[in-house]
Amino acid sequence: MRKIIHCDCDCFYASVEMRDDPNLRGRPLAVGGASDRRGVISTCNYEARSYGVRSAMPTAQAKKLCPELIVVPGNMNKYREVSRQIRDIFLRYSETIEPLSLDEAYLDVSHSDHCQGSATLMAEAIRRQVREELGITISAGVAPNKFLAKVASDWRKPDGLTVITPDAVDQFVLRLPVAKIHGVGRVTAEKMRRRGIHTCADLRTISLIELTQDYGKFGRRLYELCRGIDERPVNGDGSRKSLSIEHTFSEDLKSLEEWLEQLTGLYMRLLQRMEKLGDRYTISGATVKVKYNDFSIMTQERASHTCRISEFRQLLCQCWHRRPAPIRLLGMGVKLKDLRAEMGPEQLPLPLPEPNAFPA
Amino acid sequence: MKFNVSRDALLKPLQLVAGVVEKRQTLPVLANVLIQLQGQELSLTGTDLEVEIVGRLPVDGVEMEGEVTVPARKLLDICRSLPDGAELKFERDGERLVLRSGRSRFLLSTLPAADFPNQDETSAQTRFAISQREIRRLIEATSFAMAQQDVRYYLNGLLLECRPQQLRAVATDGHRLALCDRDAPGLNVDAPIQAIVPRKGVLELGRLLEDTDAQAEVVLGSNHIRVVSGQFTFTSKLVDGKFPDYERVLPRAAGNEIYADRQALRQAFSRAAILSNEKYRGVRLQVSEGLLQIVANNPEQEEAEEQLVVDYVGEPLEIGFNVSYLLDVTAAIHSEKIRIGLADANSSALIQQPEEGDSLYVVMPMRL
Repeated sequence: MRKIIHCDCDCFYASVEMRDDPNLRGRPLAVGGASDRRGVISTCNYEARSYGVRSAMPTAQAKKLCPELIVVPGNMNKYREVSRQIRDIFLRYSETIEPLSLDEAYLDVSHSDHCQGSATLMAEAIRRQVREELGITISAGVAPNKFLAKVASDWRKPDGLTVITPDAVDQFVLRLPVAKIHGVGRVTAEKMRRRGIHTCADLRTISLIELTQDYGKFGRRLYELCRGIDERPVNGDGSRKSLSIEHTFSEDLKSLEEWLEQLTGLYMRLLQRMEKLGDRYTISGATVKVKYNDFSIMTQERASHTCRISEFRQLLCQCWHRRPAPIRLLGMGVKLKDLRAEMGPEQLPLPLPEPNAFPA
Repeated sequence: MKFNVSRDALLKPLQLVAGVVEKRQTLPVLANVLIQLQGQELSLTGTDLEVEIVGRLPVDGVEMEGEVTVPARKLLDICRSLPDGAELKFERDGERLVLRSGRSRFLLSTLPAADFPNQDETSAQTRFAISQREIRRLIEATSFAMAQQDVRYYLNGLLLECRPQQLRAVATDGHRLALCDRDAPGLNVDAPIQAIVPRKGVLELGRLLEDTDAQAEVVLGSNHIRVVSGQFTFTSKLVDGKFPDYERVLPRAAGNEIYADRQALRQAFSRAAILSNEKYRGVRLQVSEGLLQIVANNPEQEEAEEQLVVDYVGEPLEIGFNVSYLLDVTAAIHSEKIRIGLADANSSALIQQPEEGDSLYVVMPMRL
């Protein structure tokens, strides 16, 4: 049985800002773009959340909900530095760390000797050290797999620890609302609700065949998750599955011409980011994303090995044809295949001398 | 041109000749087979400018000599689909060649015989007679190890080495090597002469040769090789390059030797191969005193394990191989027993017939 810890900082950017400026503590705070520049909230503290402020909400709307909301611009370099310090603390307990973002990671501590091998004690130690050394709080979930560890870390947020021991898995999962399953969004949850499926216990009454018919490939995963089964390993080698960038514009892009014009600049930035990846990956797909001025999102993707700009243009045109309306955000990205993971056993070569070479 | 020939007599040489004709050609005439009728002999020629095959057969009912070219593929398909024992009547009619058989009639387009490319005659450096069976054996024993589209272009073929009273063939793709020696009493050279026959030529020649004592004449020029028998003439350009010094990769010391029953070993390999990784084909060989264990795993976590009683005295040893290479070798060797010499997990294996074999095989391991 594996021991997985999922760690997730509580309102990370806002916490770092409150740590560095005590004046901000106890007041509704958000990190994000200014409302007059059509910014959106990227993180907000729990005081702000009590007013209904949420991440990805336009700052203007957040201000309406909470007039005294303090909005500070983010400082990514600072957050990256804190993230690195958190990672150093993780490394005291395991080498197998899979970061999901700057403030969130899975740790596989199955083979760790710390704390007599107790994952619970390790999670407590990590939480204490992050608090004492870095001055921010981090929630943690301990469970036999990634799915449950992630649900658990969210269970008693903020500043909480939830442990799901192997013999408590069933008891925990049976009561778990389906909406807590990663991959079950608003639409799927509603669809399930109409069928009378509310919890994982309800989901378990449906056969694997039926689930596969209704939800395709995801059906198989649902079948396992509602039984508390998740065999995904903690991917500790820093392998990426995709790389993407996006930009919110200060004014809506109204025409396809404007969309395409902005795509070029974004494409150059994507190429720069891809250069840094080196030759570890090959490209397997291209994606574009647009967010309309009513905040609905559309994405398009296709298989690609080259990620030429013409392919992104084509995808963007598909978005336009599906819905020609003003957009506020444009994003694009590539799907990656990790060559290192693909590398098979090494066939040794015969030590054939080069013909025509002079004898050594 | 006008003659009669039976379908069954024409089909085999036509098949061999049409084999060299490429599906896509740079010149239209290269899609055609050259038909020449002289006296009582009909000859058919196909070429891709690198390899040329001429097939010859006697015909009767010759009414008029002549020569012409017709689409090779179409002629072959027609002959193939006519019934056994059918009698074919060919007759040139202006720009067309008419083929009649029973109640069937075909009009084939032609191109002038003069447009058909001639293989350049080159001066012979070496010329010797050898039975077809010997050349056939050399190709069969080694050709599987030739490289395919390797950047080291000189590996995409078979090395023929003329030695005093002996003809040797060597092929390697850089991972494994095959070597075979056959007696050639007619071969009189003072020092070895090497020639690399391109892959396609080797495979075509292998199809032409029959398992008979009938002699063939081998003519080796500076950039061509020609093999002539009563039924065919095979000409191929040679690979313009030097073959690597293969002797340097032949293991000197035999190391630890395993003696095993060849058929049993081959069957064990082919069963284990089923559950090896489809892409990499790795299998693990674990040798201990008197026992060989073969283990294969795949990404689906399936496993095959084979145990084989063998003659082995020495330290336990574990070594990985591409099972396809081992299957090739255990098929190329025909003796009842097989001998495998191993040094360590990073060194090549030397595989051969326990004694008096004509061939030897070197296979590099795989790090699993």
